[in-house]
Amino acid sequence: MIENFLAGSSALFGDPITILIFVFGVIGGMLFGAIPGVSMLTLAAILLPFSAGLEPAQGVMLFAVIYCTGTYGGAITAILFNIPGAPENAPTAFDGYPMTKQGRAGKAVGAAVLCSAIGGTASALLMMAATEPLAKWAIRNIGPPEIFALVFFGLAVASSVGGNTIWKGWMSVLLGLLVATIGQDPVGGINRYNFGMTDLAAGIAFVPAILGFFAVSEIFIQAEKRAFGKYNAPKLDVNFPTFLELWRYKIAVIRSILVGFFCGILPGIGATLAAFMGYGEAVRWSKNKEAFGKGNLEGVISSETANNAATGAAMIPLLALGLPGGALTAIMVAVFQFHDMEPGPLVFYNSPELIWVVFAAMFYANVSILFIGLIETKTILQLLRIPFHFLAPMILMLASIGSYIGRGLVLDVIVMFLAGMIGFLLRRSGYSIPGIVLGIILGKIGEQNFAQGMQMVHYDLVAYLSRPICALLILAGAITLGTGVYRALASNRTGANQNQ
Amino acid sequence: MKLVKTIATGVLLAGMSTASFAGGHGFKCKVSEDSMAKPGGFPDRALTMIVPYGPAGGSGQVASAMAKAVTELTSVDINRDHKPGGSGTVGMTAYMASPADGYNVLEHIDDASSAHALDSSKPNPGKDLIPLVISQVTFSQIYIRSNETRYNDWKSFVAWVKKQGGKATIANVSKEGSMERVSMKFITDATGMKIQQISFDKGAPRYGALMGGQVDALFEQPGDVKKFLDSGDFKPILTIFNERPKAFADVPTHVEMGMKFTPLLRFRGFYVNAKAPADRVKWLQWAFQRGYCQDSYQKFNDSKFMSVIDSYRDTDGAKTLINGAIKQYREVYKSMGMAVK
Repeated sequence: MIENFLAGSSALFGDPITILIFVFGVIGGMLFGAIPGVSMLTLAAILLPFSAGLEPAQGVMLFAVIYCTGTYGGAITAILFNIPGAPENAPTAFDGYPMTKQGRAGKAVGAAVLCSAIGGTASALLMMAATEPLAKWAIRNIGPPEIFALVFFGLAVASSVGGNTIWKGWMSVLLGLLVATIGQDPVGGINRYNFGMTDLAAGIAFVPAILGFFAVSEIFIQAEKRAFGKYNAPKLDVNFPTFLELWRYKIAVIRSILVGFFCGILPGIGATLAAFMGYGEAVRWSKNKEAFGKGNLEGVISSETANNAATGAAMIPLLALGLPGGALTAIMVAVFQFHDMEPGPLVFYNSPELIWVVFAAMFYANVSILFIGLIETKTILQLLRIPFHFLAPMILMLASIGSYIGRGLVLDVIVMFLAGMIGFLLRRSGYSIPGIVLGIILGKIGEQNFAQGMQMVHYDLVAYLSRPICALLILAGAITLGTGVYRALASNRTGANQNQ
Repeated sequence: MKLVKTIATGVLLAGMSTASFAGGHGFKCKVSEDSMAKPGGFPDRALTMIVPYGPAGGSGQVASAMAKAVTELTSVDINRDHKPGGSGTVGMTAYMASPADGYNVLEHIDDASSAHALDSSKPNPGKDLIPLVISQVTFSQIYIRSNETRYNDWKSFVAWVKKQGGKATIANVSKEGSMERVSMKFITDATGMKIQQISFDKGAPRYGALMGGQVDALFEQPGDVKKFLDSGDFKPILTIFNERPKAFADVPTHVEMGMKFTPLLRFRGFYVNAKAPADRVKWLQWAFQRGYCQDSYQKFNDSKFMSVIDSYRDTDGAKTLINGAIKQYREVYKSMGMAVK
């Protein structure tokens, strides 16, 4: 492995054009990831036709690098402005933005930079060490029932985040799940809740919903505060977390690497589920669950470590089996095809040099997140100096463009503003915005896999639960759920007794 | 069974009996003119191509390849506007709302025909639109893992499925009224086997399900699983086509296995609004039909197994193909008890 890695590094840095492409990918991914609504996917779609003119290794490497740095880039706007650059950065906003409001933006961004680099680098190393066996294990053992169970577990764990009470947290998740059912059902293709509107048959897209619930509702809240003279601009803070501060979260980092990597190797799942699961696990294992959603550094660390840990892992099914893990890896299939190649087992035999250039580039891209990220952070934090009356219209404009650009539908811009208004009202009532977003994103994945899983076991729940991994995850989810309800009831009883 | 026989004798898809097995090497362009004067200067700016599916899937790739070929030929740029969702209905609605001035073209697949067959208020791709060219026509096959030990050919597969009492599974895109679902109805009616269809709307989880043993078989078109055929992971055990294509000479067809239905084909093509000015339509027909002949497009089709059978239909050929498909789908839907509007 080391010999191959050195050969890949030598090929990567031995050619000035390849170096330029690498640097372009690193910076381009970070920039597009950081601009709200315009994601690394936008950059990938723009670059796709040009990749035909590159050498095969250069073309595939460019997209792999964009994937690594773009996944990190969205964390910055999530932390500073409550605008996740992509769905996989949504959990980062849960605690990152409250930290900004508390004047701890520097610590949150610094932690995101470092943990994205650690998660991505660890994932790249694991990818290099065991691509083929891991891909084969995942494909044999993880099917739709297991993915549904994973989603159920994730919902059970993370549902308590952000709501005033567990009941409001769950009501928020259920609202998100309801929104996720709008559009064609994922198995039979039957239209639901579209009220005859064709555009709604395509469902509610993640990006407008996220931008609305997070960014637009935040602007409304800040505008209200400003109107009533209660607005306080976030304090500018460029203090990065110290080594000792971060060392306290070493277990959270390791756990998120494992969770993110596991989610990443599942075909069609990718970094979004990884980020939510990483965050959810941090909540589950924490002794201070109530601190999450209110500016807990561990929330940022867990989410950002997990989503970047999924990047290397997502390359495993792509390269070993030809199965893309998400939208960007699906575009990479087209890059291979531009060069008369197909990702899959034969690539390892026919083009090992290409594979190792890509592996090496992903490793160095993750390392460069640390250096470039730390340099750019001090500059980016200055954005917080922009007065609200300039910042708010800019954010609304960018969010509107970001909502529209994905599918080119005006409906998505309307959804964004509606989500903003609903989010504004619900946040005042103590409901959980993260819970709603969690429900929307995981609801779609969960429903599809539940329906497929039920078809596979012929609608026999016993057979469903006879799959060991599935049963284990559902049991763990049920216990988590039960424990949460018990605690909430016990807390209510204690409160009632104290009142008497 | 009765219905299947009726359809088999009554409806013939255009080109099925005359499909030429051109292959990449024997390709001959059917458009003789290398250039055509622009009518009234049209087009004097870039065209917009609405694609009702994502950029990475089969439609996205064929749209990209055709746009490249037409641009090479005419120096006219084509901007692709992807509007995925609703099984292609979102993109179709957006297209019908766009100006019918010839600057907007549409990529679509046979789903447009089946959607109209089920609900005649939806645009008829053979009447409301003018097909510029159908550039990919392909057939379906049933695949199993190459290292499968429980069965190794179609006959042993059918025998094994029958022993499972309805518990065997096949992965496909079995949405209500889809080509896959209708084709599977033909097959199960003809063989008397019961098999559970598992619907995966994305390719990767679908192929992963077969590779990992989550399902017992896969219904797919050869171009989509070419890499798994090349790598030896999958093997076809049944070709759903009237004749054996040369590339699959050792795989029996459904006809040889005693199933007498007319196979439904998957086809992808390019359209313009029927209300667009006639001279512009004529130029677009030339550009897209001649674009099909470009080396870059032919190379693309070869790489996708799309030259295994004749993938080309000009406007008239496309209309015949579409009308035949609509008629066939409508009859099947009625027989399935679906509400045909």
